Amino acid sequence: MTAVDETPTGDRSPTMDFDVYVHDSMDGSNAAWDALRERCPVVWSPLNGGHWTVAGYDDVATVFRDWETFSSERTDPERSSVSIGAAKMPLLIPEEIDPPRWKPLRRVLAEILSPNAVERLRPRVEHWVTHTIDQFIERGEAELAHDLSVPVPSLVTMEWLGWPAEEAASAASVFHDMAKFPGGTPEHAAGAARFQWLMGEVSKQLVARRNHPRDDALTAIARYEVDGELLPQEIAEAIVFMTIGGGVDTTTALTSAALVHLGLHPGDRQRLIDDPGLIDSATEEFLRYYPPARTHARTVTTDTEFGGCPMHAGDRVLVSEVAANRDPAAFPDPDSFDLERFPNRHVSFGVGIHRCPGSHLARLEFKTSIREVLRRLPDFVLDVDGVVEYPNWSVIGGWGSIPVTFTPGPRS
Amino acid sequence: MRISVDTEACTGHALCFGIAPDVFVLDELGYNVTPAGEVAPELEEQARRGALSCPEMAITIEE
Ligand code: HEM
Ligand code: SF4
Repeated sequence: MTAVDETPTGDRSPTMDFDVYVHDSMDGSNAAWDALRERCPVVWSPLNGGHWTVAGYDDVATVFRDWETFSSERTDPERSSVSIGAAKMPLLIPEEIDPPRWKPLRRVLAEILSPNAVERLRPRVEHWVTHTIDQFIERGEAELAHDLSVPVPSLVTMEWLGWPAEEAASAASVFHDMAKFPGGTPEHAAGAARFQWLMGEVSKQLVARRNHPRDDALTAIARYEVDGELLPQEIAEAIVFMTIGGGVDTTTALTSAALVHLGLHPGDRQRLIDDPGLIDSATEEFLRYYPPARTHARTVTTDTEFGGCPMHAGDRVLVSEVAANRDPAAFPDPDSFDLERFPNRHVSFGVGIHRCPGSHLARLEFKTSIREVLRRLPDFVLDVDGVVEYPNWSVIGGWGSIPVTFTPGPRS
Repeated sequence: MRISVDTEACTGHALCFGIAPDVFVLDELGYNVTPAGEVAPELEEQARRGALSCPEMAITIEE
């Protein structure tokens, strides 16, 4: 591991052996975070290299917003600084960059993922959702992770980028395959190999777009100028990589969460069928209750006191979206799922400057998928024993398998 | 009722606009650029709900 491993506990207190990497189920992870937040909202854990853990809603929001004290900048050349104990990973741009360099790098994506830009994608999102459901609707049975929540965000994102359609699904499912299978398995290794291939393809496509522009996001990124200069090739690559790595499996996980939830809670399903207008508030509640990105991390830049704890420059901080979203001080009765919860200022897309620029696209993909499932297979029955969760819920939560049966319908 | 938006705090979630499209104005990137001012009485409830939906607490309401 890295040099942070050496961080001695010193005067850091309170301390507790909190190991986020043992979280191997959603319920287990939720319970561990609830217990931690109740006992010690801010605490030092010597495990996983040593880090502070922040679990209360207000504290999580403060850490996210105060980028000057809690930096996202890469500190280890090989490992991400925005997750704890991360595997080797290329630099995430703009996520691992702080202002002032952050601003123009964020703007590239803010322009092509703005609410208006996303509204223009609506017909394409509807097309891909319809196309995807058409592939299984006559069968009367499906595995909705593989057949719906994985392909829709993959196809939408890759088409938006400007990827060749034949390769879209296979390219974007890399991250799902790596999350679905534990490290060390042949399936995970195959995912990692395809990841290398994908990086090479991104690079080639960007070079091609510089000389042969098209009407797509790859072109917008390849030809984006800051102060009259094109972005360096490796930065452009990293930005594209973030939209695939950060935008696809997260949207998949949110869609899967809602499908499992609606399978287990027929009352909520019926209310959404009867009143489709509830989808807006329901979407925020799905995001709050099932945050796809469960934790992030930051690095302290100057000695400071936070939550009554002495923090030192260089200390790592684990911030928990899931713990914040379940904080009773911010969400009355947090364990109950309420389709009409309002207000619902969850932190599932983050808050502060790095908050997710893909949120508008993710919401559109999610709402379209759920609306069409409820319209075309409203009576789906979940095979509860066949449901498989991701093996680890420390950073990203999600589902590997969601088998269902339903009354077959016609293709459209 | 008066509203004002702290444009430094706004990070462009655009949730305020989703809830109160008749009250708030977004720029082309989705950031709230509504000028401070009075809210028409029939829009007060929209404005209140829009402000409550902002995860950055960037919208201030003075009743
Ligand atoms: C439900 C789906 C999604 C969830 C839950 C999600 C979650 C998040 C969160 C929590 C952050 C903040 C990270 C931090 O503060 O360190 C973030 C940042 C980011 N997300 Fe998403 N995301 C989703 C979809 C997307 C999509 C669809 C895209 C792009 C197409 C995307 C691209 C990004 C990028 C580029 C950043 C970094 C922004 C910056 O540093 O300024 N995300 N996302
Ligand atoms: S909800 Fe808040 S942060 Fe988002 S655009 Fe509106 S004012 Fe800005």
